Amino acid sequence: MATLQKLPYVSSCSTASSYGVHSDKGDMFPAGLRVLVVDDDFTCLRIVEQMLRRCSYLATTCSQATAALNLLREKKGCFDLVLSDVHMPDMDGFKLLELVGLEMDLPVIMMSADGRTSAVMRGIKHGACDYLIKPIREEELKNIWQHVVRKKWNETKEQENSSSLDESDRHRRGTDDVEYASSANEGSEGILKAQKKRRDVKEEDDGEFDNDDPSASKKPRVVWSVELHQQFVSAVNQLGIEKAVPKRILELMNVPGLTRENVASHLQKFRLYLKRLSGVSQQQIGLPNSFCGHIEQNPKLGPLERFDFQALAASGQIPPQTLVALHAELLGQPAGNVVLPAIHQQFLLQGSRQGQESVRGDVGVAYGQPLIKCPSNISKQFTQESPEDVNSNFKTWSSNSLGSIGPSSNLTGLASQNGNTLMGVMQNQQQLQRMLQEQQHKQSVVQESTPSINVQPSCLVVPAQPPSFQVVNRPSISQSCSFPGAEAIFSSADVTTPQPNNSIFAVGQMLGVNHKTAKILDGYSVAGPVSPSVSSCSGIAENNALRRVQNSAPEFNASRQVPVLFRDMNDCQGSYSEKSSHVLDHGTLRNIGFVGKEACIPSRFAVDEVEAPISCNGSTYRENGKKVKQEPNLDFIESVNMSNPMMQYFSPNDVMSVFSE
Amino acid sequence: MLGLESYRLVADMNRLLALLFHQGVLDEQFLQLQQLQDESSPNFVSEVVNIYFNESEKLLRNLRTLLMDREQWEYKRVGVHLNQLIGSSSSIGANRIRNVCVALRAASEQNNRLGCLRALDVLEHEYCYLKNKLHEFFHIEQQRVLAAGIRYPNPMQQQQQ
Repeated sequence: MATLQKLPYVSSCSTASSYGVHSDKGDMFPAGLRVLVVDDDFTCLRIVEQMLRRCSYLATTCSQATAALNLLREKKGCFDLVLSDVHMPDMDGFKLLELVGLEMDLPVIMMSADGRTSAVMRGIKHGACDYLIKPIREEELKNIWQHVVRKKWNETKEQENSSSLDESDRHRRGTDDVEYASSANEGSEGILKAQKKRRDVKEEDDGEFDNDDPSASKKPRVVWSVELHQQFVSAVNQLGIEKAVPKRILELMNVPGLTRENVASHLQKFRLYLKRLSGVSQQQIGLPNSFCGHIEQNPKLGPLERFDFQALAASGQIPPQTLVALHAELLGQPAGNVVLPAIHQQFLLQGSRQGQESVRGDVGVAYGQPLIKCPSNISKQFTQESPEDVNSNFKTWSSNSLGSIGPSSNLTGLASQNGNTLMGVMQNQQQLQRMLQEQQHKQSVVQESTPSINVQPSCLVVPAQPPSFQVVNRPSISQSCSFPGAEAIFSSADVTTPQPNNSIFAVGQMLGVNHKTAKILDGYSVAGPVSPSVSSCSGIAENNALRRVQNSAPEFNASRQVPVLFRDMNDCQGSYSEKSSHVLDHGTLRNIGFVGKEACIPSRFAVDEVEAPISCNGSTYRENGKKVKQEPNLDFIESVNMSNPMMQYFSPNDVMSVFSE
Repeated sequence: MLGLESYRLVADMNRLLALLFHQGVLDEQFLQLQQLQDESSPNFVSEVVNIYFNESEKLLRNLRTLLMDREQWEYKRVGVHLNQLIGSSSSIGANRIRNVCVALRAASEQNNRLGCLRALDVLEHEYCYLKNKLHEFFHIEQQRVLAAGIRYPNPMQQQQQ
């Protein structure tokens, strides 16, 4: 636990400390900046060296690019900045710039007598942080320390920004941030077309550059597909989050077409996630307000078209899950169907992967481009929402997928994971599978599960979620028998079960019927896509739904009041935390990396849950409106304590899956 | 008397420098160079200028061979050489050489061989002119140092101020 929580901080702290090293020197700061000057022109070399010396920088000169590169490789961390000429006989300055950026991640300033726009543009495109035109003036060199600080400052600043949860901040980022805006555009354009295409892309390779989207034609973007991200996380875990350097990660990933910049930016976001995860408890206090605002926005979305939704989702205003639900709602069955195939593929292809991944895949399918930006979105959403719920969903997902899919691919890894929790679950899983296949699971399960109300927590954690889920539902039903909504849900479940593929939709509809089950609906809609692919998948979907049901069930039981939900949630969370601790033992080190992934996915789920009401039927939304808002808040509050355990818990699974792969 | 001699030499240096500036042979970058000279590197300017002449001589030779010997020029290599010459020339403030280099580069990019050769001739002439003048300049300075018996860290700078 402690390691997980601390590590993210450590990473951020390290950057801060390094920055602090300079700042501690106070007035002396720029002095002692270690600069490597590379130029085949000895005249310039000598002059620049002298200038740097006069600025009290520590200048090292090198007349050959290859020698400079070797020097940089041998003495990693011995230089803060590289000044390089553009034209050099043994190696193009841009090549050096690229390599330095790739391996050392140092700020590189290019200098050349060629001040033509095209040449300067080349330097910018290659990632030079500055382009000095000869003759170099001392005044210019006096200022180069800013690039060192800026580079580090940007890293820390980004983390700080992302960590701030102000609603206004979220909105601002959604609209102002270039990245997000672009992703939104891509998402809007890409989702429609990319759904089908994306499948192909993923089958072919690990994402890499996504050329599907017209908007992406200007500049190739890296789609961080599930596979790619998994590779990334495994690489990070292998290196250790602290020692993970883009260059090394890139080497470990060994994905053609992937550049250090891509990895670096992804790593940055990944670290942000980790930090978020660890800091969720602190941040969540402020979440309720933003969350409410979030929900309120959703109604407006209703009239909007798919494009807008996607854009919003891409910009982080709408969670991916919501989008899926929206699609289902707006488009009706067809949309759901469209989404489902993609999910199926995900599961089939990545069956070995865990629930989170499957979730990702789903999101990716629905979103298209947004996948790339998922990390950012996820982080935002995650902070806002309660990770716990999401995690629990994941858990269920993974367990289900393991049970059903596991046999084919990653059963061993999953088994090990599940081992602790699933001991008794196996039976449940079998039952679940049966149930799924038969699609009568709910009825039977209900009977079986009804007895134990307390089972809910375990159910959530345990792989045999279907049973637990059902159990949960049953309790709620039994308790809330009086509630029409609950009954409707059940009936719907029964109806839906017969047809796995349609079950999701049916469930979603059913959920929609129950305004209180708004959350459930969301969960269903999300899960729905998955279920069609495989019987086991359907089971997963059901599990998710079940989870939702559980959450909702408490509401029903507790006179539909939010407080009740909190109780239930807490219980569930508590169970999660316990299990998570077990899981943690298996792989703490890798948990960190995985946590990030899972956290992201969970967040989405959570978002969906919260916003799901909106995505659900309009009528449902209206009814649920107030309740939904309340629930989210409560969840958040509760989640504050629980979030950490959940994260850990999930992480092990991810790790396991990675290894198996 | 010694001080007077030194003063006269400094005046000569200034006159020469003023001439070069007036002719556009040198620009203020040369003054920058002089300001870089300090106790830690008392001969910095002459050191750099020597490096420059050695390097640019090689470059000029290469340019000559590239432009003369080849029926089909390697414009790219010419451009690389010229770029370096432009860079170093501008760094020491050899303004006219730099301007000629730019003209030469433009001619080579326009595939104007005649213009290239003409520009190269001018370049070599400018090179020799600057070399002679700077040689004279440093010779005077050396005399001044000897006459003064002491070395001011940066005599030119003092006079500038």
